[in-house]
Amino acid sequence: MMPPVVQAEFLSKTFASLHALEGVSFEVAAGEWIAIMGPSGSGKTTLINILGGLDRPSSGRAIVDGVDVGALSERELTRYRAEKIGFVFQQFHLVPYLSAVENVMLAQYFHSIADEAEAARALERVGLGERLNHFPSQLSGGEQQRVALARALINHPKLILADEPTGNLDEANERLVLDLLKDLHDAGHTILLVTHSPAIGRMAHRRIELAHGRLAQIVLNVG
Amino acid sequence: MFWRILWRLLSASRSRLLLALIAVASGAAICSALFNLNLDAGDKLTREFRVLGANVVVAPPHTADAVPVMDAAVLERIAALHEPKVVAAAPYLYVSAQAAAATPSGGTAVNEKQENGKEEKADYVPVIVAGTWFDQVALINSWWKVEGQWVSGRDAASGTHEVSDSADCMVGKEAAKTLGVAPGSQLTLRYADRQIPLVVKGIVTAGGSDDSQVFVDLSVAQSLAGLAGRIGLVQISVRGSAPEIENVLHQLSHALPALDVLPVRQLAAAEGRLLERIRGLLFATVFLILLMTALGVLAAMAGLALERRRDVGLMKALGGSVRRVMRFFLAEATAVGIVGGVIGWGVGMLLSEWIGQRVFATSVTPRLIVLPVTVGLMIAVSLAGALPLRLLGRVSPAEILRGE
Repeated sequence: MMPPVVQAEFLSKTFASLHALEGVSFEVAAGEWIAIMGPSGSGKTTLINILGGLDRPSSGRAIVDGVDVGALSERELTRYRAEKIGFVFQQFHLVPYLSAVENVMLAQYFHSIADEAEAARALERVGLGERLNHFPSQLSGGEQQRVALARALINHPKLILADEPTGNLDEANERLVLDLLKDLHDAGHTILLVTHSPAIGRMAHRRIELAHGRLAQIVLNVG
Repeated sequence: MFWRILWRLLSASRSRLLLALIAVASGAAICSALFNLNLDAGDKLTREFRVLGANVVVAPPHTADAVPVMDAAVLERIAALHEPKVVAAAPYLYVSAQAAAATPSGGTAVNEKQENGKEEKADYVPVIVAGTWFDQVALINSWWKVEGQWVSGRDAASGTHEVSDSADCMVGKEAAKTLGVAPGSQLTLRYADRQIPLVVKGIVTAGGSDDSQVFVDLSVAQSLAGLAGRIGLVQISVRGSAPEIENVLHQLSHALPALDVLPVRQLAAAEGRLLERIRGLLFATVFLILLMTALGVLAAMAGLALERRRDVGLMKALGGSVRRVMRFFLAEATAVGIVGGVIGWGVGMLLSEWIGQRVFATSVTPRLIVLPVTVGLMIAVSLAGALPLRLLGRVSPAEILRGE
């Protein structure tokens, strides 16, 4: 049996006196699509940040692809983020003075070597073959999020962490981005996606629902 | 990719970087001008110091003789050194003679007496006669105030007994008062049984013992004293720093082993101290300017750091190591240092030329060595001023992405 890609063991995170996460445990198998849901302040983003190596747990363990993320040094965390994680953010977070293709190449550069042709192909796959040299300010929200998706995928990460990727998009662009995520999932990628939307939550294999930093329930979507 | 991103960074922050660039270029201009002047300062200042007179004396060793003298061929040996640091070399032969303003009624030749066998009746007074080369004296004692005219050139017959009938002389202010002479007056010098008539060309105010002397061409003094081809000492004016002057002293000592080559210590030491103080002032000014430049860059970069905070957080989230991310921003500061340094160097060379013309009334040679020094300093200053950018390395990506 394949080991799980993600193992969360009693994960807790405290900011001063605020308990953002308390004893959260779950596993995610390779190729699964997981929706993380819950009201604002329930600890969804904190969970994603810990799994992505952007934050450290106050206690418990987050093991991703066999690596105990909380035990890594700063330098190892940097390599971990470059090699194993693909982030997609609600705010897109593109570098404003780099073109679409350069934003994708930036992730390549931090991973290993920038390859413009490969970055261009990644953008073509998300339907932006004609917009390679456009700057973020010249792209719509949906286009920016597709650039972010291309950037997240360019280094073939083990885990895609998407924090409300359609939160700032209109319906048409939301559809476009979800279709791309579905394609990625069909291609075998493991996706953890934070969402408020029940409809998007139902597209996943399972829904991990948080409330006040605790695991409320894990729901298996049927069909 | 590095250069591509760097170019984008530079293009994206043109206005803020322009402020930093102006600060760096201004600092570089003043620093490079001062460095360039400093390199030329030794030469220029010691050239100015040379108005203070000779700083080296060549003299025969002390002997039991009342008036030690040496062969005038010494002058040829000094000239044969072809030492460019030697500004001038003036021979001196001092004769303790007598002088009278009244023209003797008789002849003009040396050793001549009145036809009636009597001494002329003019009132002779004792004077120190200094035989020298006026062209060299004019170079060494350029501060002399002369009423009338300088005696031009030197007697072609210098070193012989032959003296023209109307040899010219210059008289020190005090001697002129005692003798009652003015420019155009006639004067007779007498030593032993020799008399020489002279025309006073100028009255010298030097502010020292020179004011009590009568200056004649070396050949005249030699004739008067009956010391053909002999001189008492040579005053030499050497320009340059203390080590350069020491070097010339060494060469002279080597070329003239039988003679005393003596530096005028007090003068040389005072010049050296003054030069060191001026250099100290230049370096202190450069240090202050570098500090001000760093503060200027710091102010410009502080604003830039706020703009870049989000980018740094994002780059770290994407797997950029602190070192790799900071390399972009430090390269940006380095680029400001290089461009500002080069522009400032160009302006600084023009500035040093202007200062050279204003202060020293001569051109200041642009030194290429100043370019790498200026650019290197400006890179260091820019990197020091980029402290706010360096602090960005501590940015937590999670906080940035949360929007904090």
